[in-house]
Amino acid sequence: MRAAILMKQFALALLMWLGCQNLSLAQGLPDAAVRQQLIEAVLAEGEDQPEKIEALAETGSGMVAAVLAQWRAGNLLVDASPDGAKVLFTREGIDAVRLDTGVKFSPLAPREVETTSKTRKAIKNALDLIAVASPDPELRSAAIGKLGMTRNTDYLPMLEARQVKESDPGVRKALVEAISVMQLADEDDVVCIAAVRKLGEMRSIPSLDLLKGMITSEDESEAAKAEAAKSVALIESYLKKVEAAGTVFRGLSAGSVLLVVALGLAITFGLMGVINMAHGEMMAVGAYTTYMVQNIFGGGLTLSLFGFGAHVPGMNLTGAAYQSYFIWAVPASFLMAALVGIALERGVIRFLYKRPLESLLATWGISLILQQLFRLVFGPNNVQVSSPSYLSGSFVIHDVVLGYNRVFVIGFAIAIVFVTWLLLTKTSLGLFIRAVMQNRMMASCMGVRTERVNMLTFGFGSGLAGLGGAFLSQLGNVGPNLGQSYIVDSFMTVVVGGVGNLIGTICSAIGIGTVDQTLQSVTDPSMGKIITLSTIILFLLLRPGGLFPTRTRSLEG
Amino acid sequence: MSSQVILAAEGVNKAFDGFKAINDLNFYLDEGELRTVIGPNGAGKSTFLDLITGRTRLDSGKITFGTGVGEEITSKKEYEIYRMGIGRKFQTPSVFTEHTVFDNILLGLKGHRGVFHTLFAKLSSEDSDRIEDVLKIVGLFGKRNDQAGSLAHGQKQWLEIGMLLAQDAKLLLVDEPAAGMTDEETHKTGELLLSLAGKHSIIVIEHDMVFVRQIAKKVTVLHQGHVLCEGTVDDVQNDPEVRSVYLGRGKH
Amino acid sequence: MRKPENLIMMIGALLLLVLLPCLNAYGPPDSALHVSDYTINLWGKYLCYGILAISVNLLWGYTGLLSLGQCLFFSLGGYALGMHLMLKIGKLGQYYQAGNNPLEMPDFMVFMGFPELPAHWVPFHSFGFSVLMVFVVPGVVAFLFGWLAFRSRIKGVYFSILTQALTYAASLMFFQNKFTFGGNNGLTDFKTMLGANLNDADVRRYLYIATVLLLIAVVALVKWLLGTKFGKVQKAIRDSENRVLFSGYATTSFKLFIFVLCALIAGAAGALYVPQVGIINPSEMTTDKSLEAVVWVAVGGRATLLGPVYGAIFVNALKSWATTAYPDYWYIILGGLFVLAVLFAPNGIAGLPQQIKDIAVGWKRRNASSIEPGATPA
Repeated sequence: MRAAILMKQFALALLMWLGCQNLSLAQGLPDAAVRQQLIEAVLAEGEDQPEKIEALAETGSGMVAAVLAQWRAGNLLVDASPDGAKVLFTREGIDAVRLDTGVKFSPLAPREVETTSKTRKAIKNALDLIAVASPDPELRSAAIGKLGMTRNTDYLPMLEARQVKESDPGVRKALVEAISVMQLADEDDVVCIAAVRKLGEMRSIPSLDLLKGMITSEDESEAAKAEAAKSVALIESYLKKVEAAGTVFRGLSAGSVLLVVALGLAITFGLMGVINMAHGEMMAVGAYTTYMVQNIFGGGLTLSLFGFGAHVPGMNLTGAAYQSYFIWAVPASFLMAALVGIALERGVIRFLYKRPLESLLATWGISLILQQLFRLVFGPNNVQVSSPSYLSGSFVIHDVVLGYNRVFVIGFAIAIVFVTWLLLTKTSLGLFIRAVMQNRMMASCMGVRTERVNMLTFGFGSGLAGLGGAFLSQLGNVGPNLGQSYIVDSFMTVVVGGVGNLIGTICSAIGIGTVDQTLQSVTDPSMGKIITLSTIILFLLLRPGGLFPTRTRSLEG
Repeated sequence: MSSQVILAAEGVNKAFDGFKAINDLNFYLDEGELRTVIGPNGAGKSTFLDLITGRTRLDSGKITFGTGVGEEITSKKEYEIYRMGIGRKFQTPSVFTEHTVFDNILLGLKGHRGVFHTLFAKLSSEDSDRIEDVLKIVGLFGKRNDQAGSLAHGQKQWLEIGMLLAQDAKLLLVDEPAAGMTDEETHKTGELLLSLAGKHSIIVIEHDMVFVRQIAKKVTVLHQGHVLCEGTVDDVQNDPEVRSVYLGRGKH
Repeated sequence: MRKPENLIMMIGALLLLVLLPCLNAYGPPDSALHVSDYTINLWGKYLCYGILAISVNLLWGYTGLLSLGQCLFFSLGGYALGMHLMLKIGKLGQYYQAGNNPLEMPDFMVFMGFPELPAHWVPFHSFGFSVLMVFVVPGVVAFLFGWLAFRSRIKGVYFSILTQALTYAASLMFFQNKFTFGGNNGLTDFKTMLGANLNDADVRRYLYIATVLLLIAVVALVKWLLGTKFGKVQKAIRDSENRVLFSGYATTSFKLFIFVLCALIAGAAGALYVPQVGIINPSEMTTDKSLEAVVWVAVGGRATLLGPVYGAIFVNALKSWATTAYPDYWYIILGGLFVLAVLFAPNGIAGLPQQIKDIAVGWKRRNASSIEPGATPA
């Protein structure tokens, strides 16, 4: 159900977008004639205006669609020229563009072209029909779907005509679906039942409510009702699968954020043995860096600290250049969090390597300070991080909506795991890291600069948290307390995976993230969290070593 | 002297991540015997003590303790094994550094060890006498009110041996007692151990061959988790296999 | 060596128990000698925190178990008594007086649409039962959790992380409306306890005195405990748990005993805190609160008898002042204080005199050596 609504909204948004885009595109049709027809339809008065408007659809012109969309938005105006003739024009930002010539001009006494409910309906129908003829198959499918849902049988012949010449399989499916939906209202019971069966076979989610309505309707025959019940059962079980897949997908993406963050913690905690309670704040550093980069690419932002306002100028970029901000924000988040991490290591943690409990307490103090700094600098409320256009769309596979942002996060998490693995196992730095973590003293005797390795390792772990923060900004809220909600989860993830075992961390992050999300959508968010946490606590109480306990002889005295 | 077996390890195996630390070990100790165990590094000496004291669990085989039939100890907890009368001195001296020397011995003193008993236990005059006796034996009476952490390495070793004495254990497991001691201290340690033999059964792990010669009647050589040979010090030192294990490795 | 500590304790007890309440009750209202009702109430709160801090210290300072769950036990005790106080509002509740609450349920239940008083609330009509629960609930939770944790040999930071998770899970639970404990808002708007008006200055003074008495009892208990053989075993566990295990002590039982005892102490402190502060809600059991209690101990002096009490009073007084004077910077001050305490004053306020003495001795030595010709710099 949710998927269907999402799909509709998505289609609508795309339609609007296309309307705007096409305005600036030159059309290959006999332009003047189309414009004339358009003007006549707009200025027509009386009963036949709706018909004239709907007839515009036959032009199939993108320009017409754009003007109609503008009309609907209240941007089509009329100006009385000095000679008394009415001049129609559209508002394009601050410009006024004449409808008859497509040229800019300065109107004298403009007023909006009024619409009645009848004309609005006609405009909408015309837009739908134009969309059905759109060159983009996805838009065609969406428009056809919408037409089907109107259940207006007047469109039936047009759709059937399209079915003959349509070649795109996706659109053909949409056509079959729309036609079947319309046929549900057919007088002939045979046609109706066939349509019901067809919809069931297609697992048509949009028609679920219609079919449900048929079961209880008094106008339908018993045979039709029985068939409808069958189809409803089929669609509902399909819908469950779709929803389950969607949940798992969202869980996977949430798990991926957790994975990146926990991987960072697995390095600082698992390998180095440092309890960094400010790890969550490293995430927030990453998320706020993303926010900063976004604003620097845009209009700049004003920060306040200790009562002073500091204005960071923006580059005022627009379009693709602005959209590219996220590509820069990702490495910037990593670097910024890594730098903060290194400062933390140099300033506090290096004095506490042999006292894990004390490092827990000192870093908690740091986390309080950082949180309050975020609050002071960026304000106590969540800040807005927009998704760049290339991350805000989605794939739809078998009715499962896969948001680009989530797909991106999953893909990037996999890449990060891979890079981390390469770094730890294939580079000399990785060799040093592992050497120092196993035996600081020995490594130092062998000439490894342990101080430097500690610093870099900690910086790397913190940087990973920063990356997690950058990803999270695409999925959730960015606020001063962002880290707090992740810190318990990430510690649990590392411990469940088995401390010091990166593979274990990966497994447990994906597992916990997915289960957590699933439970949160099955029950409610905080109940899901409670169940997950309690299960983890119980698991750890019974198996303190986690999934993959590390067996060593290091206790040997 | 009685010749009843007090500790028997039969077919014992223990592996750490594929590395066989103990490999089909068979070992018998008579009551009142003082046995010295030697072997190169990684031969499984300390692991063997870990298995006896319950610090690590064996993979297969069994270890029994007690004369006659003997009681299986392989599934018992550390403190249960201790309460059966097995005490251990660790390789690196492990005493309670924040406690006084006196309190260290007090904690090791034989007696009830339950939570409520410790809450309401009063220090009887017999107990203090016993503690003072032990302190005199190990030569730490003058330092009884000092913090154990402030003792020298050798003194910590003595203190730990003192804790074993206070426990009055039937079986003493002594891991490298002479490490960090002067020759004189080493010799005194040897005399102490010899004086304890008979009343107690003792297993000593040691590297220092001078010390071994001083105390050992019977020596067991461990190699790769297995008993290589057993016998007197001279037997063992003339054994060609033992020579190849020690000297052969040394030549590389 | 022990003498000055005993003296401080006696003087402190006298001050808190006799002088402050007397000045509150009999001091002429306008004179400098008068102690206001507000101050008495504030100190009642500080001392409840002091008791909580002692429980944290008994675990962390003397047994080496850094529990981040002490606030949970504190809150559980508070909730147990709070439930009783809630039911005692009875006919004074707003909904009852508006005629919407014939069952005399707590107001929030009417507001949240509960049809009737949930069964587990019913016994809390009895004061005796509620007081029993102040100890039973934290005790049972601590026993179950501790038994599982210690049996599995969870220690060090793992114990801290797990108690933190436990507290976090519990706070999420209490935030839920359907958990029947008032959700976000918790339990508040109490009117009477044992028939006495909780807003009355005399009653508040008695509650304050009860808090001081509990504090004295807890300090005495800890002092006695540390003197027994149990105390020696306990400290030995902190320093070398394995050695204790190999000395024949079942460390699990010792740790479990002390963990449950500390939960009971924290629960009792929570129960005295609630009627004085007038509210208990889930924000009292967040992990941050538990860590704050650890700050008190660290600042006051870990592993010292009275350090935690000093710390709780000092940090909370600082908080009272800073949250009004510099509301934006309080967390920065708190965090900074903590980092500094951990890095530079491991023995806290209680250890400060000794630390200063050590530094002074070091200075003298350095100066003395620099007088000698050719002395190498330290």
